[in-house]
Amino acid sequence: MSPILTYRPAKGGNALACWLALPHTIAPDRPPLVAVHGILRGARDQAALLGRRAAAQGRVVVAPLFDETRWPGYQQVVRRGRADLALLALMTELRLTGLWQTPDFELAGYSGGAQFAHRFAMLYPNLVARLTTVSAGWYTFPDDTAFPYGVGSADGGKSDWGPRLAAGLDQFLELPITVAVGADDNQPDENTRRGPEIDHQQGIDRATRAQRWADALARAAAARRIAPRIDLRLLPGCDHDFRRCVELGELDRIVLPDSDLNPAVRGYAEARLAP
Amino acid sequence: MTQPWTLCADLSANAKWAFTTRRVARSDAATILDDLDAVRAGDLVLGRVERVGSHRRIQLADGRGSELYAGDLVVLVCGDRYAPDQFEGAAELDPAGADMLAAGGVIGRMRHAHSRMGTPTCVVPLGLVADAARRVLNVEDYGLAPLPRPASLPVIGIVGASMNAGKTTAVAALAHGLGRAGYRVAAIKATGTGAFNDFHAYADAGAHVVSDFTDAGMASTYRQPLTRILAGIDTLLGDAAQRGAEIAVVELADGLLQAETAALLREPRMRGAFAGLVLAVPDAMGAVGGCVLLNDIGLAPDVLTGMVSCSPLATAEAEAATGVSVIAREALRDPAQARALAAPMLARAAGRTAADAAAGVDVAA
Repeated sequence: MSPILTYRPAKGGNALACWLALPHTIAPDRPPLVAVHGILRGARDQAALLGRRAAAQGRVVVAPLFDETRWPGYQQVVRRGRADLALLALMTELRLTGLWQTPDFELAGYSGGAQFAHRFAMLYPNLVARLTTVSAGWYTFPDDTAFPYGVGSADGGKSDWGPRLAAGLDQFLELPITVAVGADDNQPDENTRRGPEIDHQQGIDRATRAQRWADALARAAAARRIAPRIDLRLLPGCDHDFRRCVELGELDRIVLPDSDLNPAVRGYAEARLAP
Repeated sequence: MTQPWTLCADLSANAKWAFTTRRVARSDAATILDDLDAVRAGDLVLGRVERVGSHRRIQLADGRGSELYAGDLVVLVCGDRYAPDQFEGAAELDPAGADMLAAGGVIGRMRHAHSRMGTPTCVVPLGLVADAARRVLNVEDYGLAPLPRPASLPVIGIVGASMNAGKTTAVAALAHGLGRAGYRVAAIKATGTGAFNDFHAYADAGAHVVSDFTDAGMASTYRQPLTRILAGIDTLLGDAAQRGAEIAVVELADGLLQAETAALLREPRMRGAFAGLVLAVPDAMGAVGGCVLLNDIGLAPDVLTGMVSCSPLATAEAEAATGVSVIAREALRDPAQARALAAPMLARAAGRTAADAAAGVDVAA
C-alpha cells in the first residue's frame, strides 16, 4: 500500500521543512529513514520513491528540504546555516510526535545529499544506524587531508572541522555503510567538482570516486582493526538520475534491505582487502 | 534533659523547608528534640529566623527561592560549608543563634567569611526534627540506597582551578551539547554544599538525569569522610545508569586546592572513574597552576575551559603555556563539537571496560 505523502513546513525561521512518507501502520520500534536530496532539492521524490518500500516495513521516511537560501552549502554539513543542527532539531521534534521510538535513524543521501549524509554520519556516528550514499560527487576521505577532502587539520582555528570528524572515525567505520553509484555514472559533468588535487585523490567521475572512497573506508577500518561493514553497489543501467537509480537499479532495496545481515556487506570489504 | 515537643501544627505548612531537605518525607516529622549538643551533620533543624543577614533568601525544597523575614520558621540541615568567597563553617549549633551558611539550607557555625560578606543570617535553633520514635531525621536516611559504580557508564570529570572558574557552566554546556548530539547525559554534582543553582543549571541544559550529593544523603560533603563521599559518587553514578544515562558529566566543587577535591583526585577509585577530565580555569595563570597541580598527581586535563575562554588573549596565553586546548562554552554547547570532545573519552572508557571485563575486575571493589 502506498504511504501517505505529506509536506511538513518549517516551524520557525531557521527550521527545516520536510516531506514525510508515512506508512498506514507504523512500526515505532523500527528506525526511520532520513533521505537527503541532491542540489536540485528533490525532497519530495526522495520521500515518494523510497516511501513505498519503507511503508511495507512500517517505517517512516523523512526527506528534509535544505532550501538554497538558508543552506546553500548543506552538502558540507557545517558550513553557513549549520545543516547538521537543523536536521538534529527536526528529528527531535518529529520523534516527539511518536512516529518512532528509536534513538537513532538510518541515513541515505543522493548526490549532494550523499555528501551531506556521509559527513553527518562522520560527525554523529552515534545517531546513525546505517548509512547509504548514492552517487556523491565527491567525499571526505578518512585520511589526513584537510577538511573537507579529508579529516585532517586545516588551520587549527575554530572552524577547523577535520579533527572533529576524525574524533568519531572509529565509530563511523563500525557502521554498516553502502556506497552506491550508477554503473554508467562514469563521466564528469558540469556539477562535478574538479581540480588536480581532488582528481588525484578521488578520480574524475562519480563511479571511480565511489569505489575509491569505499576502498579507503575498508582500509581505514582494517588499520584500526575494525571489521568493515562496507559495501559498494554499482547500479546497472543507471547514470546520474535518482528516479532511474530506484526504478532500474532497485536502489530502494539497497537503501531498505530486507535484512541488515547482507552477506555482500562483509564480502566486499574482505575482497578489497585480500592480498 | 531532652524535652520533646509534640508538633501540634503541620510543620510542612508552617515552615520553609530548605532545598537540602528535598528528599525527606515530611510526614515523618512528629516531634522536636531540644538537645542541640547531640546534633550531627545531616540532622534536620527547626529554626526561627532571628535576623536577616547575608542570605536574604532561602532556596526551598520545591525549587523556589523565598524571601526571608525575621520570625520565619525554617527547616534547615546542620552541616559544614566551604566557600572561600562566602562562608566557611562547621556543623555546630549555638543555641543563642546559629548561622545560615548557605541559601540552600545549611545551618552551622560560621568560622571564616570573605571580606565582602556581611554577617550571616541568624537562625535560632528551636530543636532537632525527629520522628515518632524520637529518632532525629537526617538526610542520610533519605539518600538513595547504595549502589556500585557501573562499569559501563563513561564519566567525564569537570574540575576547577578555583571557585567560580566556570565548572558549572562547563557541565551544563557539555550536557547540553552531548544531549543535542543524541546522548542521554547525567549531570552530577559530586561534592559541595547543597544548593539548587547548579542543580537547576544542569536541568535547564536538558540533562537526562540530574543529581547531587544530597541524593546520596549529604547536605554538604565538606569534612565528610572520603570513603563516604566516594560511596556517594558510586551511588549517584549507579543511579544515573539505572535511569538510562549513557554518559555522566561529574563536577567536583571548588578548586583543586580544596581538601576533599584534592583528596578525591589522589584516590585511585575516583581517578579510575574518569574517562576524561576537563579543567575550568579563570585565567591563564589559573590554567598553568591547575595543570601543574594535576600533573603533580599524575593527571592531565583533556581540555581547558572556563572564564579564560572569554578572552582571546588569555586563551592564547593559556594554550601556549600549557599545550592544552581551550574550549569555550559555545563550543561545548555545539553538538558536533561536544561529541568530538567526548569521542576519545568514550573510546577510552569502552577500552577500559573491555579490559576490566577481560580481567574480571569489579570496579566497585
